[in-house]
Order: sequence, then structure tokens, then C-alpha cells
Amino acid sequence: MTAIDFKRFFAKTTPIAPSPVQAMAKETAIVASHINLVYRNGGEEFNALQDVSLTVKSGEVHLLMGPSGSGKTTLLSILAGLLTPTRGQVNLLGEEITQLSRSRLAAFRLKHLGFVFQGFNLFPALTACENVEVAFHLKGVPQARKHAIELLDQVGLADRCNHRPQDLSGGQKQRVAIARALAGNPQIIMADEPTAALDSQNGHAIITLLRNLAKTSGRTVLIVTHDPRILDVADRVTDLEDGKVVTKAKLG
Amino acid sequence: MASIARKNLFEDIPRFLVAQAGIMFAVSLVTVQLGILRGFSRSTAIVIDYARADLWVASKEMVAFELTSPLPADYVNKSMAITGVDRAEILLVRAGRWRGADGKLSPARIFGFNPDGELFAGWTLSDGSLQAIKQPYTAIIASGVEKSLGLDENNRTGSIAGLPVTIVGTAEDVQSNASSPFLFSSLETANTYGDAEINSSINCVRQPDGNLNCTNSFKNRPLGQKLGDLASPQPLSLSDPISYILIRAKPGQNLPQLKQRLLAALPETQILTQAEIAAITRNYWEVRTGVGFILGLGATVGFIVGMVVVGQILYASVADHIREFGTLKAMGASNGVIYRIIIEQSLWMAILGYVPSIGICLTLGQWTQMTRGIMILIEPSTAAAVLLLTVVMCMGSAIFAVQKVTRVDPAIVFKA
Ligand SMILES: Nc1ncnc2c1ncn2[C@@H]1O[C@H](COP(=O)(O)OP(=O)(O)OP(=O)(O)O)[C@@H](O)[C@H]1O
Ligand SMILES: [Mg+2]
Repeated sequence: MTAIDFKRFFAKTTPIAPSPVQAMAKETAIVASHINLVYRNGGEEFNALQDVSLTVKSGEVHLLMGPSGSGKTTLLSILAGLLTPTRGQVNLLGEEITQLSRSRLAAFRLKHLGFVFQGFNLFPALTACENVEVAFHLKGVPQARKHAIELLDQVGLADRCNHRPQDLSGGQKQRVAIARALAGNPQIIMADEPTAALDSQNGHAIITLLRNLAKTSGRTVLIVTHDPRILDVADRVTDLEDGKVVTKAKLG
Repeated sequence: MASIARKNLFEDIPRFLVAQAGIMFAVSLVTVQLGILRGFSRSTAIVIDYARADLWVASKEMVAFELTSPLPADYVNKSMAITGVDRAEILLVRAGRWRGADGKLSPARIFGFNPDGELFAGWTLSDGSLQAIKQPYTAIIASGVEKSLGLDENNRTGSIAGLPVTIVGTAEDVQSNASSPFLFSSLETANTYGDAEINSSINCVRQPDGNLNCTNSFKNRPLGQKLGDLASPQPLSLSDPISYILIRAKPGQNLPQLKQRLLAALPETQILTQAEIAAITRNYWEVRTGVGFILGLGATVGFIVGMVVVGQILYASVADHIREFGTLKAMGASNGVIYRIIIEQSLWMAILGYVPSIGICLTLGQWTQMTRGIMILIEPSTAAAVLLLTVVMCMGSAIFAVQKVTRVDPAIVFKA
């Protein structure tokens, strides 16, 4: 067997300059263009999203607001690649995720996205540490326990490692969920109503935590909410109504 | 990974126990059905298995071990005269009606053989001795038939065709589940029991008008006759019908050739190896009677019921954790990861259901063997087959349950 010519090999596969899309990815984390989504139930069709376009810059805390039924969760699902839009494209970190196969999408989410849910979605049978460890295991990161403890420490729950979700308060559960979302250092955190199940004090603490995590590490945070009390932590807000974007307010 | 499968399983212990009870039920059902089938099949020819003959001389008309036509007794002498034959022993297979001390009637299968012989009685006795049946009107019973024959510790007697029977021993694990209770006696005693039933004669007198006037007289001996008053059983005469001749070849004999020599010397017979006659008998019961089919059907139905039960349990468990699976998928877990969790869970359920079930079935088998002489045969191969079936059952239902998570609706994940 002849030796592989590594120079030639890399010269062929390594682009000399970043592509325009990759360059764009430096400042925009999420670009959604002309998203339409039609829910079909039997014979009935429902336009949940109509021509929604949205840009979220890297490192910003972006709120997606709107009344109940306006399509926020639907949009978030599409942005996360959990739902395929009827029309339109989604670009995350320079990758056209609407073009990816299911398995590539899963791999993309695993690497780049972290999720926080309204209902926490922790594994009730696992302890706080184990819940966070799962994310590390999925990502193939060694020493999951050590990393999990570090993350729980970051969200102020170092002493709750061995507690099961049922033994934690709502706010604590959401902190564990945030720790889990942070595992493996994803660039984008998506949260659907992370404060809805919490009282205002806990809710505010959670949002502040999310914001601080974003600001200290340059992560992009997209939060779906209809909680007006957390407006003050946002860099930008997109308002949805009846499946359409109504305002894009820039705060501050 | 901290086993999500295992933790999910043990999260709710009462629920887990209920699920396991279902699986244990399914596994036990399959095991018992399979064990009965195997035990039944084994038992039908176990008497043959215990014998140590190289060849069996049987009537050409033999259908199965206990269903054969008689051979002339002098065939035993002819057999002895053939080159290569070391020993030839007679085996009688007779039927009789047993009347227990309680007066209840039961059919009985009577085997007659020479207690000094070497080829037939390979079984072990849990009590008594082979030599004891040299006493007239005595028999050894197969273990497990005591109840059917109305025998117990204090009462070891009964009668066949008015002749007394004293039980002088018990042979372990020899009873056929397809047959009547087994009694083993000396040739003479067995022959007498077997004859007595049919010991009737017809006397006919020609009437002047040419018609025959016949009277049928039975010579059954009255019940309750004392042993001392009875004549000893007559030794077998050359004209008596016998059932089989067991042959031991001289060392180093070519069995196929010996078979041919025997066949040539003994017309209207078939010469079978011990394995052949056992196989014919088992095949008869398994294939040619409905019994094997029914038991096989039972095992199949058990498997299907088990599959459904396990499928439901696993499906319910997956449905219970659907949000967690959805969350894993949202986090970017591949289908493979999720399948692995479900399959691991199903394997845990399989193993944890299997182990106690086999324990239960072994105990049950011991009990049926002890009390009824009915064997639920759980050989290592049966146990391995059931383990395989259990795993297939659980994996099969896991694959079924996996369908539920291949397409997780994001709505489930984001629901409050
Ligand atoms: N699977 C579905 N099939 C049909 N219609 C659906 C489906 N999912 C959502 N919808 C409809 O789409 C619209 C948008 O739903 P969505 O869940 O995105 O709203 P939302 O803004 O998240 O509301 P909320 O604040 O109450 O969570 C609603 O009218 C809803 O009824
Ligand atoms: Mg919603």
C-alpha cells in the first residue's frame, strides 16, 4: 500500500475561504424565511403559520411572543427541525436544516441545540445528575458525571445531584433542565414557555439565568413566552398573531 | 449510560410487579404447555428408553409400543439360536381392569418380564425389589399411579380379573402419560392376569333341528379369594402369545446384518432398534393421535397469548414514557438510541419474567409428577427454547412498540 498524500487530500477537501453562508453564520444564528405551515386534519386545513420570516442574531436573547394559538410552538418546532414546514427555509448556523434528512437533523440538533420545555421534560426515574448526564452520553462526552455536577453547580443546584425530579421544586426542575440543555455547549438554546409553570419570582430567576448564560458564553437564546414580565431581559422580540409576524421590536 | 431502561422499569415498583406478573404468566403458560408436550412425548416411550436391548422383535402389525399383535412364544427360542444373539427376553404387554381396595375400577397396563433378565427393567425402584415379583400375584407399580389405583401407605393391594395383586415395589419415572397405570409383574403372573379377563369358553350343542345352542361361561374367579387357595400362575407355554422379544447382540455384532438374520428366521415380524421403536411410538402419539397436536396447539396458543400480553405491557410502558422518548428525540438522540432503550427494557422484562417463571414451572412439574405421575418436562433444551421464545416475544413486542416512537409529534414534547 502506498502512503496517502495527506497534503493533496486536505487541499481537495478543505475550502480555502469560508463560504458566504458560513460568514453569515458568524452573526446570525437563525434565519427563517417565508415559513408556511398547514396543519391537515382529515379534510380540514389550518394555516398555522403564514409567510413567517425571522432572523435571530448570534448571542442575542430573542423572545417569540404572541397570544395563545398564534403559532409560537409551531414555529419553534420548525426552527428546531422537529416539524417540516409546508413551505419556506430554515437556516441554523449556516446550515439549511430544511434540506437535511431526519437522521442528519437529529445529529445537528444533538450538536448545536439545547432545549428547555414548559413541562421540564425531565426523566422522572433519573436523578438530577443522571438527567444531565444523559445529554452528555448522547453527545458521546466522557466523564459525564463530572460535567453534570459542574453544570448543576452553574445553575445553583450542586447539592441536588442525587435528587429525583419529584423531590425538586418547579424552579429547581427547570434549572436541571437548563443544565441539561447546556450540556455539550450547544450554540443555540430554544425554550418553549420555560416560565409558564413557575411563579413570577422563580420565573424571573430562570429567565435571568438563561440570559446570564447567554451573555457569558455568547450563546443564542430563543424563548417562546407570553409572559410580559420577562420582556426586560430580551434583546429582541418577535410578535406573532394568527400565524403572522406583526412586529419586530428592538428593545433598549 | 445510566440505564434509562432499567430505571424506567423500576421507577414504579407496584406497576413493575404487575407487568412482570403478566410476563410470568405468559412465560409459564408457554413453559407448561411445552413441558407437557415434551413430557408427554418422552413418557410415551420411556419404558422403551429404560430397556437395554440392542434390537426388539415386534409383530409386523405393531402400530405403537402398546398397540401391537402377538408373537408366538417359541420365537424366543428361535431367536436364541441365531448367530450373534447373546440374550433374548420375552416382554408381555397386557391390559387388565384393576379393582382397588376401595372397589373402584381402573384400566391397567400389565408388563410381564423375567425379573432375572437383563434387558427390560432398567428403571430404578424407589421401594421394593425386582426379585419380589417372583412371588405369584405381585407387581411393581410405576410411581405416580397410586391415586388412580386407590393405593396408599396402608393399602397395597387390589385385584385384576378377580385375581389378587399385591404391590411390592414402585418404579421411578416410568409411567406413560398416554396410558393406563403401569404394573410390572413376572411373566407368569402377567400372563395369568392378562388371560383371566378373556378366560371364557363357549359350549355349543347341536340341536336335533340342526341349530347350534351355545352357552357362554366365564371362569372369572370370585373376589376375595385368599392367596393360599389360589393355584400358582402357570409358566408360559410355547403356544402363549407374547408381545416382544428383546435381543442383546454379542459384542462386535453388525446390527443391520443381525436384523436381517432375525427377520429371515422370524416371519411376520419387524426388527427394530430401541431408538426406532421409541421413535415410532412417540411419532404415533405426537402425529397420529390428536394428543400431540392438541398439546402442540396449546403451546402455540400459549406463545401467541404470551406475545399479546407482553406486547401490551411493553406498549403501555412505551406509551407511558412517550414524552421522555420524544424529549430524547428532540435533544437529537438517533432512533438507534431509542430502540436500544426499548429493547433493553424488553430484555430486562424478559429475563426478570423468565427466571421466576421457570422456577415456578419446575416446582409445578415436580408437584404434578409426584401427585399424578404427569410429567412437565423442562429439560435444559426446553428451558433454553423458552428463554429464546421469551426474548423473541419481548423483542417482537418491543419492535411493535418502537413504531410508536419513530414519529414523535413535537406537540407531545412541548405540551405542558
Ligand atoms: N397537530 C395540529 N393539528 C392541527 N392544528 C394544530 C396542531 N397543532 C397546533 N395546531 C393549531 O395551530 C395553532 C398554533 O398552535 P401552537 O401550538 O403553535 O400555538 P401557541 O402559540 O404555541 O399557543 P400557546 O401559547 O397556547 O402554546 C393553534 O390554533 C392550534 O390549534
Ligand atoms: Mg405553545
